[in-house]
Amino acid sequence: MENILLREKVADLQSYFACGGYRALKKALALKPAEVIEEVKKSGLRGRGGAGFPAGLKWSFIPKDAPGPRYLVCNADEGEPGTFKDRELMLKNPHALIEGMAIAAYAIGAETGYIYIRGEFTAECALLEREIASARAKGFIGRNILGSGINFELHLHRGAGAYICGEETALLESLEGFKGQPRLKPPFPAVKGLFASPTVINNVETLAAVPAILEKGGEWYAAIGTGKSTGTKLFSVSGPVNKPGVYELPLGVTFRDLLEKNCGGMREGTRLKAVIPGGSSTPVLTAEEAWAVKLDYESLATAGSMLGSGGVIVIEEGRCMVKLLQVLARFYHHESCGQCTPCREGCGWIEKLLNRLEAGRGTKKDIDTLVSVAEGMLGRTICPLADAMAMPVISFVKKFRSEFEAHAAGNYCPPDAPVKR
Amino acid sequence: MPKITIDARTIDVPKGTSVLEAAQLLGVYIPRYCYHPRLSVSGNCRMCLVEVEKAPKLLTACSTEAAEGMVVRTDSEKVKAARRDVLEFLLINHPLDCPICDQAGECGLQDYYMDYSRAKSRFPAEDKVLRQKRRALGPHLVLDNERCILCTRCVRFCSEVTKTSELEVMERGDHSFIDLKEGKALDNGYTLNIADLCPVGAWTSRDFRFKQRVWFLKKAPAVCLGCATGCLMEAHYNDNTIYRLVPRPNAETNTWLCDRGRMTYKAAAAGDRLSKGVIKNGLIDLEPALREAATRIDEAKDAAAVLGSPWLSVEDNAALALLAGGMKTENYCFDFKFETGIADGILVNKDPSPNAAGAARVKAASGGLNFEEFLARLSGGKIKLVLTEARAAGLLKDALKASGARLIVFANNRGEIPAGAYATLPYASYFETPGTFINYQGLERRTEPVVQAPEGVKPLWQVVNKLSAYSGASLRLDSAEDALKGLDKK
Repeated sequence: MENILLREKVADLQSYFACGGYRALKKALALKPAEVIEEVKKSGLRGRGGAGFPAGLKWSFIPKDAPGPRYLVCNADEGEPGTFKDRELMLKNPHALIEGMAIAAYAIGAETGYIYIRGEFTAECALLEREIASARAKGFIGRNILGSGINFELHLHRGAGAYICGEETALLESLEGFKGQPRLKPPFPAVKGLFASPTVINNVETLAAVPAILEKGGEWYAAIGTGKSTGTKLFSVSGPVNKPGVYELPLGVTFRDLLEKNCGGMREGTRLKAVIPGGSSTPVLTAEEAWAVKLDYESLATAGSMLGSGGVIVIEEGRCMVKLLQVLARFYHHESCGQCTPCREGCGWIEKLLNRLEAGRGTKKDIDTLVSVAEGMLGRTICPLADAMAMPVISFVKKFRSEFEAHAAGNYCPPDAPVKR
Repeated sequence: MPKITIDARTIDVPKGTSVLEAAQLLGVYIPRYCYHPRLSVSGNCRMCLVEVEKAPKLLTACSTEAAEGMVVRTDSEKVKAARRDVLEFLLINHPLDCPICDQAGECGLQDYYMDYSRAKSRFPAEDKVLRQKRRALGPHLVLDNERCILCTRCVRFCSEVTKTSELEVMERGDHSFIDLKEGKALDNGYTLNIADLCPVGAWTSRDFRFKQRVWFLKKAPAVCLGCATGCLMEAHYNDNTIYRLVPRPNAETNTWLCDRGRMTYKAAAAGDRLSKGVIKNGLIDLEPALREAATRIDEAKDAAAVLGSPWLSVEDNAALALLAGGMKTENYCFDFKFETGIADGILVNKDPSPNAAGAARVKAASGGLNFEEFLARLSGGKIKLVLTEARAAGLLKDALKASGARLIVFANNRGEIPAGAYATLPYASYFETPGTFINYQGLERRTEPVVQAPEGVKPLWQVVNKLSAYSGASLRLDSAEDALKGLDKK
């Protein structure tokens, strides 16, 4: 099927417009805001940032009669290890995002929108700045959009390099100029978000899917996918595959199809050992589990993992799982904001335990401690960063315990296959 | 009024009440570090996690609003495990230096560890994150970042109560630490509250540090006499020495205590404490000093004057009023008009004296001159001798100098004695003797003796009683209450 998001030759306004761009916005402006929300609800579009919350429902949480401004924020702080889809999407199809935001803003009654973009994305920033300016010049955003009397001003805001600012409330704090630390919920952003006003925060990929939904209808979109997981999803595939990269596929595609049909299979001489299916924070799947799994919200949940951001990390036999987990732990330890106790203390503890095991100084007891520390963090913090550390730890040890035990016994390289370098 | 059930007990609470507060109303204690009733909720310590029916995860009791029909468990295995885990996390990077920590004995980590954990350490000492140790910050505090659990009570106190925002959490993750913001100094006048607020040994008082192990301290209620606000406080003492003053939170006046108020205990044990009389500049025993004073008072006859004091208790002012009656002079005054009200938006009063309202009560019973009249008579040369308390004498300064009248004062400390005083008589401070004070709101507050006065030093009403005996206008007071009764009869 044809790609909805990752389309070629639409990176500038002229070509985007030539391919029918901004027709959806015009169509949306002719509808009532509630009808736009209804269409998105019908599409079954779910949040593509990781949590998978239904987008139309999220929009409908904005209080109807609240006085004062509302805000639309696009979360483009893509920082989850193994995830690089938003970046690709913004480069290839920036106007899908801009148009999607204009439609979403109209639906929720926001006159101001922000794209909070990861600071390191310099090329994407420059491109977006340019394309936002041209969309403004053509009257697609700004004051009195397409003569409708509706205003929508869109700003690009660059983050300063903290992973935590991808968490929506930390993002809001950062956007307001404070230290990026997650807020307590409730109140939820829909009630009290940016500048204490009702706010919707959506991922880039979610918003970029909106124009197609408006143009072709929610039912059309809902027909793609599995019925519960609707539409297409971007998968960022990394690891020893022949063609790593970003792939747009209908939800419910099998991992086998993604790997073999799209990515050209495993690189020669390598065999699949494990897969992290949805970005580094999602539980790992063994090769056996991965070969059998479909990539959609429900199937992955049933398999004990998550669709997450769709960052598929392919791991080959011979790769040391202890080392891999150590790398992840270093990341989460470094990125924990330190606000609440279990994450602040637990992430560091986990990294230290893994350092010890990886260096061959660990014990069997350290493996149990590792799991119990992770369990002590799980579900007990303000935001999901602690869970993002705990879930891989628990699943890595559960599924690859023998490797951890081999390390504890002093044989600190993977026992399952000789390393080929 | 939502009805909430906590540990199988049900209570109606006002809307907006948190689960933690609702539990408190039921007498169920939920452990907490970051929560403080007078600070904003930050929910960061995770110590107050409780199980709420239908919630998939444990929720923080401090930040969860009680809702109709909510069913909460604070004693389930899940909750107990969470508390154990949070405590373990808090302790892994803690230096465990209790033997040399001044907080020991009143430390949230120690107490909760005993109550909710008692687990063995699983964390190797060499893995601990090291941080900066004992740094003096401001005139009253020492900060040990290694002991800090980052509950941010101190940060929130400085931004929400004093609104001076000196403190901030720097860095992030397990290397974050509390520090002063650039260009700020920690001297907002309320800094010692931070030592009280700090649930662990991170912030300690420079004044109190290492003076006394807290388990030796006894506690007695006291009232701050630093200004007309009349904050309730608690004196911590041992072996006839006061070691510190802390607030006794109450709805009427104070949750906190200012730094100056906290230091008011020092005068009672100061090196210049008077235990004898002073005539001109020479120390003499109390009896001859009293005799001398009485002689001078008798000598002055109706040109003698008594000025009460807003720094003295109602009882002691009453005794002075009775003395003035016995002296048969018209020149007495219990009238002090200061502008009152909170000067800094927190606690410090515009009126620097603790009992102008108490003196006014004495005036209502005994009559006497207005302060202006008293001053006019003094300046006009009609008054040849003034008997008063040392700080009240300060109110007469210029008129006294101009008139050349003799000054006899009551004082606690040698440093209080005004220049040119003819005689000084010592009396027991209000940490040593009971007394009633009326604050600027008209609230009557009583101080109780915490320690004993130096040998031979008596409460002011007793000194007045003796003075009256020597001067021949004997009052025969047996107690401070006698003075009040005598005043009522007038």
